[in-house]
Amino acid sequence: MTFLDVIIRGLKRRPLRTGLTLLGISVGIAAVVALIGLSRGLVTSWTAGMRQRGTEIVVSNFRGSLTPKPFPAFTRDRIANLPGVAATCTILVDLMGIENAELMIVSGREWGCFAWENLKLVSGRMPNDQNEHAVVLGTNAADILKKKIGDTVQIETEELTVVGIANGGAFVENGSVILPLPLLQQITGNHDQISAIDVRVTPGMNDAGIRHLCDEMNKLIPEGHAEPAGEHIASSEGYRVINAMSWGTSLLAILVGVLGVTNTMLMSVFERKQEIAVLLALGWRPSRIVRMILWESALLGFLGGIIGVLLGIIGVQLLKMAPALRGMLEPDLRTNLMLEAIAIAVFVGVLSGLYPAWRSSRVAPSLALHG
Amino acid sequence: MNLTSSPSKAGAASRYVFEATGLIKDFDDGQVHALRGVDLQIEDGEFVAIVGPSGSGKTTLLQMLGALDRPSEGTLKYRGESLLDLPDPAAYRAHEIGFVFQAFHLLPTFTASENVQIPMFEDHKSRAERQERALELLKAVGLEERVNHYPAKLSGGERQRVAIARSLANSPSVLLADEPTGNLDSESANHVLDLLRSLHADRRMTLILVTHDMSIAACAQRAIQMKDGCAVFDGDPAKLSIHRIA
Ligand SMILES: Nc1ncnc2c1ncn2[C@@H]1O[C@H](COP(=O)(O)OP(=O)(O)OP(=O)(O)O)[C@@H](O)[C@H]1O
Ligand SMILES: [Mg+2]
Repeated sequence: MTFLDVIIRGLKRRPLRTGLTLLGISVGIAAVVALIGLSRGLVTSWTAGMRQRGTEIVVSNFRGSLTPKPFPAFTRDRIANLPGVAATCTILVDLMGIENAELMIVSGREWGCFAWENLKLVSGRMPNDQNEHAVVLGTNAADILKKKIGDTVQIETEELTVVGIANGGAFVENGSVILPLPLLQQITGNHDQISAIDVRVTPGMNDAGIRHLCDEMNKLIPEGHAEPAGEHIASSEGYRVINAMSWGTSLLAILVGVLGVTNTMLMSVFERKQEIAVLLALGWRPSRIVRMILWESALLGFLGGIIGVLLGIIGVQLLKMAPALRGMLEPDLRTNLMLEAIAIAVFVGVLSGLYPAWRSSRVAPSLALHG
Repeated sequence: MNLTSSPSKAGAASRYVFEATGLIKDFDDGQVHALRGVDLQIEDGEFVAIVGPSGSGKTTLLQMLGALDRPSEGTLKYRGESLLDLPDPAAYRAHEIGFVFQAFHLLPTFTASENVQIPMFEDHKSRAERQERALELLKAVGLEERVNHYPAKLSGGERQRVAIARSLANSPSVLLADEPTGNLDSESANHVLDLLRSLHADRRMTLILVTHDMSIAACAQRAIQMKDGCAVFDGDPAKLSIHRIA
């Protein structure tokens, strides 16, 4: 028997209570995994999409709003000729309800620019020119909308023909409805407006160079903001709100877990008062009792964390299927997040054990004889 | 003697294991007087029975000797060293004293062997050493067949024998037992008493035993009679007159 056995035995003593407490913590941890996984997924999915398009810098205008605000297309002319800029592509992105899908990414891309190059046709063809009333669907978008080549898609008041279905190499690309820029500008009434400029830099430029180039651009374009691809999402107001809401919800759930563990450990200390006194009479130091209680609650946290991560993964799979999220983002469930979640759970356990442990250190050894 | 580093079992600085003078213990801000000035010397290797009516202060006295509580006034020495300013009371309780309780106080979720190992966590023994020592002690109390039994599966007498094995875990020189047979039928009680007597005889342990049972007190070398927090008789158990008890 080791000290760890003593700790495990302490938790096994009341299996139902231990189980319910574990459930309490694990719900909080599941919330962390699911919500944070989703909101981080937003950044990683969009960054992956950018990478597929070969975009290193994105100029957009997220300032003060949840979705990017359109700005005039001529902004591009001010930065296109900066040294270090290899190519640019103007884009208008919108999130719209299309037919039965509540929210789809609709991406209008400058005709002939590099943002079309990563689209590998799975079937059909590309639009013949930028005036053809045609769209290309990402593979997931085709699934969600249940469309095949030759079907029509209703966007706002316009009926467009699906001419191609393409694999864009990234989750967000595959979830998009893609069409030539002027067509989308016309449909949405955003004449000569764009919401992003994708920028390719000259090959071999390092991160510092990219950042420097962003700074240069930002001096020239008050109406937009240039940032390395991906960061433009992470620093956007929308992402910050989503992230803050995710953490807020998670922290509330975690707080409930903290109260649960504290309550459990406190009850456990109270009902074991005499037992603790006996341990003291047998020569255990108060510090060992404190350690026992802290380890018990840390172990509760750890186990709750593992269960929570599993619940969170299941939860995310369910959330991903929600109509509003389908095809928009791939949850970011890397081991990093799992480890963070388990670390949070252990921290919660130790934190919750502090007061009960302090109480346990104050049990009088004389209770062993005078129960 | 240094209680923290080298336990005193070897050399005695004093001929007395315990020496108490004017020992007073009050509870509830002086409203309850549990001990009202007890003077006492107990020699190494003695078997002392403490008797007296309920509430007379027997358990309280045992608590003072085991450093589970501090007296309100008076002096109390263990082998010449004051128990009132022990640098490490836990070490004293772990290595010098073995406790046996009326209600056994075994941990229900631990086997007999594991219960015996509990005090050894403070003794820097390896896992294997702890296990081996527990087995040895359980053999010594005649429970080698019950090593992996949980307390619920043991009779009262067996439980108390496990508790006695546990009290011996770190080889203390003193056993403090508070009515160790109080919860047992007479047959089990005799078995436990025989065990305690043989520990006293074979291991030269100092045995201080609180009891209501005159036949048990009669086995001791010496009886101390408590009444209202005072020691009213101290001497040969045979001379304890029946009317003084209970
Ligand atoms: N923690 C305490 N707080 C208040 N009073 C106490 C406390 N412990 C003991 N007492 C009182 O001190 C007195 C002596 O108690 P003690 O337990 O020592 O008696 P005892 O001789 O062991 O009795 P018994 O034979 O019933 O076990 C009693 O009046 C008891 O009520
Ligand atoms: Mg008593």
